[in-house]
Amino acid sequence: MNLTLNINGTVHSVYCAEGDLLLDVLRRLGFTSVREGCGVGACGSCTVLVDGHSVSSCLTLASRCSGTEIRTSEGLGKDNPVVRAFVDEGALQCGYCIPGFVMMATELLSENPHPNEKEIADHLEGNICRCGTYREIVKAVLLASSSASN
Amino acid sequence: MNPRILRPESLADACALLSQDEDALVYGGGTALQILRKQGILSASSFVDISGIPGLNNLHHTGNELLVGPMVSIRRMETDPVVRESVPIASAAYAKVANPRVRNTATVGGNIAHGDYRLDPPVALLVLGATIKATSTAGTRAIPIDKFFIDFQLTALNRGEIVTSIEIPISNDVVASTFVKFSSLSANDWPSASAAAAIVARDGEAQILRLALGALAPTPVMTAVDITGMREAQATEAAVESAMLIMDPLPDVRGGVEYKRNLGRIAVENAVRNLWRDRQSV
Repeated sequence: MNLTLNINGTVHSVYCAEGDLLLDVLRRLGFTSVREGCGVGACGSCTVLVDGHSVSSCLTLASRCSGTEIRTSEGLGKDNPVVRAFVDEGALQCGYCIPGFVMMATELLSENPHPNEKEIADHLEGNICRCGTYREIVKAVLLASSSASN
Repeated sequence: MNPRILRPESLADACALLSQDEDALVYGGGTALQILRKQGILSASSFVDISGIPGLNNLHHTGNELLVGPMVSIRRMETDPVVRESVPIASAAYAKVANPRVRNTATVGGNIAHGDYRLDPPVALLVLGATIKATSTAGTRAIPIDKFFIDFQLTALNRGEIVTSIEIPISNDVVASTFVKFSSLSANDWPSASAAAAIVARDGEAQILRLALGALAPTPVMTAVDITGMREAQATEAAVESAMLIMDPLPDVRGGVEYKRNLGRIAVENAVRNLWRDRQSV
């Protein structure tokens, strides 16, 4: 089937099978910040925003995303306050999981511009960083929260 | 062989598709079905995607009931002020499902239809006395939640039926309510034991403690204890005694039988303590 997807504000036309998952379609289109980890919605590496809401693209039918606005971390750009805060706090080691954390943090800050540490931990609880940079990630979200309000 | 994806635009069309193919499954949010498909333990000829059917994601407060459409997301049950205000115990249980990202996609209808004994929402729905509406080509029927869970991974839903609504009573007689969940692997994993409890006023002075347990038997289970005139210690003892009778835990990676029974007892004790605290703060 032919599918039209709006990804980071650009319309892409793609041929895919009706059961294809959003994760696979995005990666085929070159959005390689979207990564498979667990494949069952538990690790958060494949997180993207669909109409502003975080979803596990490994569990989402691509065909259901026609007519929605999909955002990946490629669409944020290096001057985005959340991306900047992750860089400034050194909130990564290998970096595999970080785009997922960045997208979850983006969703959190849009719903709650000034979260406390517990609210950050609660919102990011479904994202796993095997390098263990959780401390720096929480600091990065706090920094993004304060820099966005300046 | 991947299932075909069918996209009916009306409930009648969806029911017809399900009646024509006994290996078709209703596809709501898809979070559970995709996992089961990847694990290779699901054989379905087609997924009947009900996301294009108007009205299935409606949430209505009628005054004495909350009518929840099957495509309402779990996350909305967690965050919607109307749900939090009118049935706080349900909101609290939905807030404990998986993680925020899965809650954005997973739906109320899919969650209950999954029928797993460890699910968080059913224990709250049992305590509140919810009703499940199911629709097929034969019409719509109402299933009381205490008749919904039949056995391990088996619900009262017939082949061809779609959950079309969950009706949650809103009662001023609920004096206090609480939800307690213990997980042994990670904070957002399935529970090893969960308990939902409410104190319900009856006929003036009388008070009933309604108590439901999750992950502690092959289905979610429920009991009720008359706690009229009891103090906290007596009510706790009565609740634990009644709860132990309905526990029948399955041993697995999240704990053995004795471990789960102990955790279940602590969940009940904590639940009664929470109820007493809430009741006294009223």
